[in-house]
Amino acid sequence: MEQPIKITITLPTNAYFVSGIRDFTLALIKNTTKFAEKWAYRMQSVVDELCNNAIEYGSAENAEIKVVLIHKQDEYIEILVEDTGTGKNKTTAAEIQKLYDEKRKEGYKFVGIRGRGLAKIVGEWTDQLEFKDLSNGGLQVRVRKYLKDPRYKSGLPESTPTHLVLNI
Amino acid sequence: MAEAVILIEDLPIKDPNSKAKLITISGQLDESNVDMKAKDIYKVFEEIPGKLYLVFDFAGLDYMNSRSIGYLTDWYGKLTEKGGKIFIARTKPNIKDILQVVGLTQLIQTFDTLDAAKQAVMQESSAAAATPAPTLAIPAQTPVATPAQVPAVTQTTQVQAQPAPATPAQTQVPVAPTPQPGQPVSQTPATPPVQTTAPTSQPETYKLNA
Repeated sequence: MEQPIKITITLPTNAYFVSGIRDFTLALIKNTTKFAEKWAYRMQSVVDELCNNAIEYGSAENAEIKVVLIHKQDEYIEILVEDTGTGKNKTTAAEIQKLYDEKRKEGYKFVGIRGRGLAKIVGEWTDQLEFKDLSNGGLQVRVRKYLKDPRYKSGLPESTPTHLVLNI
Repeated sequence: MAEAVILIEDLPIKDPNSKAKLITISGQLDESNVDMKAKDIYKVFEEIPGKLYLVFDFAGLDYMNSRSIGYLTDWYGKLTEKGGKIFIARTKPNIKDILQVVGLTQLIQTFDTLDAAKQAVMQESSAAAATPAPTLAIPAQTPVATPAQVPAVTQTTQVQAQPAPATPAQTQVPVAPTPQPGQPVSQTPATPPVQTTAPTSQPETYKLNA
C-alpha cells in the first residue's frame, strides 16, 4: 500500500512568508492530486487562514510556525498547522473549540473585521477539524479533506455530460 | 509580501446627492497587506461622508483572505447605513467561491462584466435621484398643540441610558446564511443576472421523451 507523501515546512512568525505557502499548496494539489482545481484554491485558503491564526495568536514574533501537508493518494489531503504557544494571545484546544462551535451555530452574527476564517472558511471547506494541545505548550490544528468519501462533499472534478439517456 | 494595487476613479452618475467610485483591485489581498490597503478605501469614506456607491472591479484580484472579506463587510455596512451600495464585478471563480462561502454574495450584487455593474449603479442612482427628498416642513393644516393644550405630566418615566453606538469596525451586518452547494441563491437583483452559479452536484444527463 502506497505511503502518504508528507511535506513539513517551518516558517518564521511573519505573515510576509505565508504567500509562499499558499502558492506551494495550490501547485501541490493542482499538480499531484486528483482533487478538482476548485478544491486546490479552497485548500490554499484553508492553509492561509490556519497560518494567519497561528502567527497572530500562537507564536511570538521571534518564534516560528510549522505547516505539514500530507497527501494520501486517492484518499485525502491533510494539513497540520502548529504554533509554539509563545504568542501573546495563545489559546488552548478547549478554548478554540468552544469559540469555533459558537461561531458555527446557525444565525451566529459575525461582528467586525476578524473572526470569519476558521468558522466560515476552514470549517466549510474541510471534512474533519481537530484542535490539540501540544506538549511544548503550543496548539496543533489538523484538518482533512477527503477526495471521495461519500460522507462528505466530493473533492473530485465535476463530471461533464457524456451521454444521452433515451427514455423510450 | 503579497502585492496588491488599488486604483480609485470617479464614476459619473445622475444623482446630484451622491457619488460613485470605481475601485480596481489587482494582485493578492492577504494578512501582510490588507490593513494597509484598506486605508485607501477608508479615505474615500472620509472624503465623501454622504451617500456613496462603490463598484469593485476584481478582474485582476487573484486572492483574498478572511480579513479582506471582513473589510468588505464593514464597507458594506457603512455604505448601506447612508443609502449607498456596493457592487462587485468580474470576480475570478476562486474569489466568487470565497465570497459565496461567507455569504457575502447574498448581500452584495456581483456582475460578470464591468459594464453591467456600472449600469446597475446608474439605475440605482437614477432611481434615487427621481425619489423626492423627505421634507421636514410641517403642513399648514396640521394642528399645532399650544402649551396650554398639553396635558400635565403626572408620571415620570425613568429612561435607561442607551449604550454608545458601535464603533465603525464593529458595525453589525446581517450575515446571510451560507449557501449550500447547488442551492440557488434567493437574491433577485433588479439588474441583469448576478448569480450564475449553476447546481454543481446534479448529474447532467439528458432525457429524451421519445
